[in-house]
Amino acid sequence: MATSKPKSLTIRSYQVGFGDCFLLTFHYPGTNKDRHVLIDFGSTGQPKNAGENLMLRVAQDIKKQCNGKLHAVVATHRHKDHISGFATNKKGTASGDLIASCKPDVVLQPWTEHPKARVDAKQAPNGMTSNKAFVAALGNMHAISAAILTEAQRRKSLGPTLKREITFLGDDNLSNLSAVENLMQMGKKNYYLNFGAKSGLERVLPGVKTTVLGPPTLKQSSEIKIQRSKDEDEFWMFQALANQFVLKPEARIFRRAKTYTTSPAYTRWFIDRLSSIRGEQLLGIVRALDKVMNNTSLILLFEVNGKKLLFPGDAQIENWSYALSKPAIRRLLSTVNVYKVGHHGSRNATPKTLWNGFKNRSTKKTDKRRLKSFMSTMKDKHGKVASNTEVPRRTLVKALDGESELFNTQSLKKGSISLVCEIKL
Amino acid sequence: MTVPPLRTRKLTIIAQDPSVKINGKILRTQVEIPAEELQPGPWGYRVHTVDFDSSTSTLYQPLTYPSLKNGVDADPFRRAKDGKLLSDPNFHAQNTYAIVMRILARFEFALGRRVSWHFDSHQIKVAPHAFADANAFYSERDQALLFGYFPGRKGMVYCCLSHDIVAHETTHALLDGLRERYTDPSSPEQAAFHEGFADIVALLSVFSLTGIVETLIDINAPRRDRSRIDKKLLTIKELRNSMLLGLAKEMGQELPAIRGNVLRRSVELVPSRDYIKQTEFEEPHRRGEILVAAVMNAFLSVWVKRLEALGQIAPGALDRGRVIEEGASVADYLLTMVIRALDYAPPVNLEFCDFLSAILTSDREINPNDSKYQFRDTLRKSFISYGIKPRSAGTPSDPGIWLGPEGHINNDRIHFESLQRDPDEVFRFIWDNRGAFKFFENAYSRVLSVRPCLRIGPDGFALRETVAEYMQILEMQASELKKQKNLKITVPDDMPDEQEIRLTGGGTLIFDEYGKLKFHIENRLDDGERQSQRLEYLWGYGYYRNPASFRNFASLHRQRATSLTSFSREDW
Repeated sequence: MATSKPKSLTIRSYQVGFGDCFLLTFHYPGTNKDRHVLIDFGSTGQPKNAGENLMLRVAQDIKKQCNGKLHAVVATHRHKDHISGFATNKKGTASGDLIASCKPDVVLQPWTEHPKARVDAKQAPNGMTSNKAFVAALGNMHAISAAILTEAQRRKSLGPTLKREITFLGDDNLSNLSAVENLMQMGKKNYYLNFGAKSGLERVLPGVKTTVLGPPTLKQSSEIKIQRSKDEDEFWMFQALANQFVLKPEARIFRRAKTYTTSPAYTRWFIDRLSSIRGEQLLGIVRALDKVMNNTSLILLFEVNGKKLLFPGDAQIENWSYALSKPAIRRLLSTVNVYKVGHHGSRNATPKTLWNGFKNRSTKKTDKRRLKSFMSTMKDKHGKVASNTEVPRRTLVKALDGESELFNTQSLKKGSISLVCEIKL
Repeated sequence: MTVPPLRTRKLTIIAQDPSVKINGKILRTQVEIPAEELQPGPWGYRVHTVDFDSSTSTLYQPLTYPSLKNGVDADPFRRAKDGKLLSDPNFHAQNTYAIVMRILARFEFALGRRVSWHFDSHQIKVAPHAFADANAFYSERDQALLFGYFPGRKGMVYCCLSHDIVAHETTHALLDGLRERYTDPSSPEQAAFHEGFADIVALLSVFSLTGIVETLIDINAPRRDRSRIDKKLLTIKELRNSMLLGLAKEMGQELPAIRGNVLRRSVELVPSRDYIKQTEFEEPHRRGEILVAAVMNAFLSVWVKRLEALGQIAPGALDRGRVIEEGASVADYLLTMVIRALDYAPPVNLEFCDFLSAILTSDREINPNDSKYQFRDTLRKSFISYGIKPRSAGTPSDPGIWLGPEGHINNDRIHFESLQRDPDEVFRFIWDNRGAFKFFENAYSRVLSVRPCLRIGPDGFALRETVAEYMQILEMQASELKKQKNLKITVPDDMPDEQEIRLTGGGTLIFDEYGKLKFHIENRLDDGERQSQRLEYLWGYGYYRNPASFRNFASLHRQRATSLTSFSREDW
């Protein structure tokens, strides 16, 4: 058993296209004393030149690199691009089966994933605790995504760009049941964490201090007046019912009322407009729920020998707000050495307050203390340049590139499965 | 002999929403709206209802309304049972049409003229069952009011059957027609104003129905005696609980899902001058609630004051019918006041303090003697209790009102007849007086509208005015703006030099019946302090990175329901 502090760290950023998959290997003094932590393993889109069975090959490499033993698995949140790789199959040959065979000691997830928090999503939020109502709302968001995906496929009037966006976000927000169940079962112990909780990594990673900076609980959020109202949870419940209703056969609300089989000419302009609005609306709904889901991300800060590594999943400002409201946390974060770029470089997951607070940003490439940043992303998959929503966001990439040493999975050449970075601790 | 045509007609609507019941029956009422020969839809001269459900691609056939000729006032659903009202899409279409027309008529009555939509059409499209979505919104681009539906706990919930939702969305459309620049990115208060004002009109429109007042007033006092009401129940605190919180509770349980429980949240904002300074209230929806709270508190205060003047019919008891009538008429008067104030508000960069001065001035012009309701004094005090002081100091006898124009105003070359309707003539007036108005040089100026109006005061005399709006635009890069020392505008430190910035200013000109300028109500382009604050806000909240998110009611309403904001100072 490793007893002292790790001397170095290897970060592997895997090529999973649009998704996250990081293997952290902490090297302790002596032989065979490495400790391996897998942070996320998911994808919603793979590069054209990725070849077949990319996720399986990644899982095989992870197993090889960790010599068949993972010490910890972190699933920051339940989006497909973070957990789809944990899915299993009946034969036991899927990527998730390979990861499970590495028998992680602990599995870390946000508090919203706690099995006890689960409820029947169709129950009225008013009859639940706030936490349960919120978890129910998350469940409803999966149902909405599934319904919207089906409606988008049926809807002929959607333009290709709109359809692509809706399909992308809808798909990412589907429930990943197989992966979720595997995450529940693969570890010896599961931890469901919130801001300030003990991480569960204390014994697994000796000499490494792990601080949980997010997500906050609803009670914590309310301390900074980001109070979640049950009206919001109720909104998602009704939204789910509405989206599912229209998929029913003969979903017309007034069955007995007379309808037109051919619309009169004077109504057609407006009918076309309404059909187009419906498409935009579907996108608006999946965007909103995508944001809520991103904000359940686990934010972890690893500290070892004065070096700090920040892994925030896809947390956006609503998640970050609680941690950043505390001056002591802002001070703690100011000296981060390694930053995993939030949400694949999207415009709203690297809060300016956080970025501007990083003291190790430097334009000098020779600067030894220069911040290292890791971004797992794939361009042209999500968002549009015209609306400044492209991922990765140009302005952020420019800042990352100019003020940090950027490791970007987009730079991986054909056939390369991971970016590898060695860090002395 | 011919029968004179009907000027108004009555149509049945659901008074608030299907959940507000009296003796187990849905509370309904007949509303009086402008009479017209309708085409099936209803399809009238200002509203075209098209009942298309885009989620299921269903187009419902409309009802054919009987002609109003021969003085027949046809109201097809007057005697319909509750089940029929809920299950017949044609009633839903009528309910929506009638409320939109009622609100339009209230605006036209208050302003003394026709009110146009902002888009290029005389008729707004209305879709009562536009989609399966917990949302309802006005879309300028689609020239439409769109109402969603969704399955609730006790059956389908229809936004088009909720009086306050229909009134709210109609107000957005009318306000956009009257003040097209209020949807522009500006201060948090301008963004908040659209939502807050639409809520105020919706609530006052509901409270101006005696049936609603009658139902709610009994919430805390089970009706033992139909003729009297205990005076103890008629304090501001008690009325807040029964009328405002009562309505919030009575409203369909599912309705808060549409845009959050605005009424409840506004009522819970007890007077405090601190809200306006708090970061939480920088968010436009929350800030709008301050405006709603200030106006609704004034409503309760005036009502209670009016009741104090009523004689007791028994020790400690007032005539119930009079109490109800006073409540509805106070709401109706206040509704007229707030709508009329729009004409006296600056056309760009509106803030709550401007709106307060606008209310005080417009009411004083038409109703110099405020002794009946004392609304001006009450509103001023209520706004101040929420930290909103009038923009103008006013006069000792009328604090807060706008003052007349300064300096010599040149009318020499102006044709009065043209000035009442011709934008070019108004522009000439502005151009001739650019020196007197101390305009910032080289800014682009244009007249947005010229509207003659005729209002009838309580004394029966007519008040003729012409209201014209102009705006000024100056576009330059951040680096250029920094060099404009005479503007004294502070550019945010981290704004890139090449950032394109658009500054706007403008004014409302009120001419009297002789063409003399009575008021020049402006938000100046060269107001360094306010422009700097706006720039700071817009930059901080990400407008320059994502301008699209600032002008879309569909997403604004969804954000309001989900408490998500789409623009953030933290974004890239």
